[in-house]
Amino acid sequence: MLAFLVQRISQALLVMFVISVIAFAIQDGLGDPLQEMVGMSVSMEERQVIREELGLNDPFLVQYLRFAGRALQGDLGNSYFYSKPALQVIGEHLPATLELVIGASLIIVFLSVPIGVYAAIRPGAWLSRFFMGVSTVGISIPVFLTAIVLIQLFSIGVTINWFPPETGWGQWLNESLSTHGGMPSYGRGDDLVHLFGTWESGFFTRQGLAHLVLPCVSLASIMLPLFIRLIRAEMMEVLQSDYIRYARAKGLNPGRINFLHALKNTMLPVITVGGVQIGIMVAYTILTETVFQWPGVGLMFLEAITRSDIPLIVAYLMVVGLIFVITNTLVDLIYGLVNPTVKLTGKKT
Amino acid sequence: MTTATVSRWDRFRASFFWYSFKRDKLAIASFLVLLAMVLAAVLAPLLAPADPYDLAQIDILNSELPPAGFAGADPAFPLGTDAQGRDLLSTILYGTRVSLMIGFGAVVLQAALGILFGLLAGYLGGKVDAILMRIADVQLSFSTLMVAIIVGAVFKASFGNLMFGEIAIYMLIFIIGVAEWPQIARTVRASVLAEKKKEYVDAAKVMGFGTPRIMFRHILPNTLSPIFVIATVQIANAIISEAALSFLGLGMPETQPSLGSLIKSGFDYIQSGSWWITLIPGLVLVVLVLVINLLGDWLRDVMNPRLYKG
Amino acid sequence: MPLLQVKGLDVRFALRGGDLKALRGISFSLDKGERLGLVGESGAGKSVAAFSILNLIARPGYIAGGQILFDGQDLAAMNERELRQIRGNRIAMIFQDPMMTLNPVLTIGTQMTEAIRAHRKISRREARAIALDRLTKVQIPSPARRLEQYPHELSGGMRQRVIIAIALLLDPEIIIADEPTTALDVTIQAEIMALLLNLCEQENVALMLITHDLGVVSQVTQRMLVMYSGRIIEQGPTREIINDAQHPYTQGLINALPQMGEPGARLFQIPGSMPSLNNVPSGCPFHPRCSFATDQCKRTMPEYVRSGNVDVACYEVANLIEQEKRMQEAGS
Repeated sequence: MLAFLVQRISQALLVMFVISVIAFAIQDGLGDPLQEMVGMSVSMEERQVIREELGLNDPFLVQYLRFAGRALQGDLGNSYFYSKPALQVIGEHLPATLELVIGASLIIVFLSVPIGVYAAIRPGAWLSRFFMGVSTVGISIPVFLTAIVLIQLFSIGVTINWFPPETGWGQWLNESLSTHGGMPSYGRGDDLVHLFGTWESGFFTRQGLAHLVLPCVSLASIMLPLFIRLIRAEMMEVLQSDYIRYARAKGLNPGRINFLHALKNTMLPVITVGGVQIGIMVAYTILTETVFQWPGVGLMFLEAITRSDIPLIVAYLMVVGLIFVITNTLVDLIYGLVNPTVKLTGKKT
Repeated sequence: MTTATVSRWDRFRASFFWYSFKRDKLAIASFLVLLAMVLAAVLAPLLAPADPYDLAQIDILNSELPPAGFAGADPAFPLGTDAQGRDLLSTILYGTRVSLMIGFGAVVLQAALGILFGLLAGYLGGKVDAILMRIADVQLSFSTLMVAIIVGAVFKASFGNLMFGEIAIYMLIFIIGVAEWPQIARTVRASVLAEKKKEYVDAAKVMGFGTPRIMFRHILPNTLSPIFVIATVQIANAIISEAALSFLGLGMPETQPSLGSLIKSGFDYIQSGSWWITLIPGLVLVVLVLVINLLGDWLRDVMNPRLYKG
Repeated sequence: MPLLQVKGLDVRFALRGGDLKALRGISFSLDKGERLGLVGESGAGKSVAAFSILNLIARPGYIAGGQILFDGQDLAAMNERELRQIRGNRIAMIFQDPMMTLNPVLTIGTQMTEAIRAHRKISRREARAIALDRLTKVQIPSPARRLEQYPHELSGGMRQRVIIAIALLLDPEIIIADEPTTALDVTIQAEIMALLLNLCEQENVALMLITHDLGVVSQVTQRMLVMYSGRIIEQGPTREIINDAQHPYTQGLINALPQMGEPGARLFQIPGSMPSLNNVPSGCPFHPRCSFATDQCKRTMPEYVRSGNVDVACYEVANLIEQEKRMQEAGS
């Protein structure tokens, strides 16, 4: 167990190191601290002097170590645009993104497991086929498009007038196929509850929750088909195995067989894949936040790119890198705890 | 006695590949739709009723006209117009063209990189393998889309808006190609590791063939079949990635838009009721990606080694 | 009154091109406490026969006809719920590969106590006591510790002992063992087989042993039946069949066993191989490989004839019996 932990953590540190080097390289190559500090009237010679004083002409390695040292103390420079420490800007925007991710994850977990299991147990049922069909289409729709369609349907509303209103049933069909919209599609609303630090939560008020709905559904929509397919495929394979047939031969009831014997084995590879999806999730939050103007780190990152706010870009990369590394290590850990064949040796038997 | 020569066409028609294709109606339908879209895109200059980027032809008075069948539509613009008065059918045709070019280009690049690195990692092993696969792992764990966004952001910041716009199409092919090579490399590496153990490799070594020759002329052809399946799906992924990048403003500029940029610029007008400017290009994008995915699914079933017998 | 009686069991595989017949109307019986061997090559249908008793054949297999009479009830006609009460309870099964049979993510203890509590309303502690008792019976060292362990922590032989212990948990009347030692090390095979034999004798449990190993059959079973291409071609007391096999196929099987004879002597092989399910010959399925085959053999499947205590399905054997009878009558 200890060896397992040590191995994973040292891997994590290595990856963090690589990310920091890349981040620093970007900052070194693109950023110009002088731009922030001095105006246009400063001459070239004076600029050179200032550069010397700031140590900007030192070798790469020296500058990197300085950068790394500061980073470990939490100093990632000041954002050009906000004129505040970059880390603080990120701290202000991070809770919004976290709530988005939490909401989407809840939707994914509570929908994909029942649907995936059902589709595996009854693959021929029309409901299963329907879900699988929708999943295939779902994978082909980019997340930002789903978001736009949801906005059109539930925020703006769609009025159908295909059927002539004179006929009684025509009017009814018009009504039932139309949507009235009204769901908020911009930002998080004003009704947020302060939790701690910079965390303003939208989960505790009606307006906050209303604002969370469309963005979370959009974010979930792209990962849901993936998990449904994955769970279904894994479960179907597990159901073919000898130990399931043996469980039946022991006379166990089907509920126990499906939800203990089969599901536990199914979830193992799903945990692994789920861990990998976190990376994709972060990319998708950038897209979703852009569509809904959701004030999270994704939108912040995009605006930083447009404004060439290099310190903020670099800080974002470092923080996101750290989040990845932590999450991946946690996922590995959870997998090691859940899968008994991994416990003792620290390697897969 | 004369022997009839069997042409390649005859062999193709007799093969399992064609037989399976004919039987799968979904595959046929997908292929036809894809063919239609590709042809339409390639022939865009001929098919488009107007050149949407010729400023002389656009009249701002035509802006935001709805598609045919809706109140206020103009028959000259079957799919409506955008905020500047450009014909949507034309912009979509050109946009599809750009999306397809980037999709194919990116996949060619990532296949080339992936095959090269996969061969090197698999065949040479040791440190080369360790380094390459470590890089691949990091790229994959960040997710290729994120890598593309980061690389795109860095390029845009270093090249500046204007220059980035001019070479955007090559930039995008490069960005997506570089972001996505790990997937193919991993597959190739796995195949190479399996092939390395086979006897024909020993035979080639004994005959004194050099490493590059063994890698490329002997091992490579045997690793290609799973790549075709992956490549197909990757085209769909590349199109989506490009659309995402363009939507974020890191992709094709307004002057040479892809489907993604069309969706982006149309989005601003959705609140005012002009849904077609963003949703019709969106629909085209979805259909395009969907048929490629369906064909990829079919291809995967066909190439399943248990069923496919050369 | 036999404990288990299989009459005309017909099992098929439903495939897109049409059904394949895996078992073509086989009939046999098992008495209380009796040990019966099912012998045959791979693909003869012996595993299918074993699994069909409890209707556990993998899809697309299904029981197309026949009866499986157990204690007055027809198992072939029962629904899942009724069968569940019998599985693991009155009829237990032992599969081939213990590593694949035990669920890798559940402890041995869980997998044992759940089997008990699925059929008896007793507490977990009581179930655990029963599990410990059975583990001791199969001679596993430190049984209490095993309950907390996972399958991958045990050796192959120990895992199979656990499987045997599970089979005995509810004091079944029949144990169906499908090649129980094939997946084990050669050195352990004899041990496990001896254990199984002893336990069945002690507890007076009927045993249906499926195997391709004639040596094991001759040591363990009292009666045996030989399967070929979905049919039983010879069945009767094991001793009689091993010593004096009647059917040409059975004779071939016995002759194929390596004898401790002269070094360098060639091993006997029955020419050809058993036909696949979709390519079954007409009449007697063995006729393409049989040196005694006649036109009649190619046309219709022979009926059973009795030779001693053994039932054989072979025209040649039938003819020989006829000849003997006539000779005896002529002689008297």
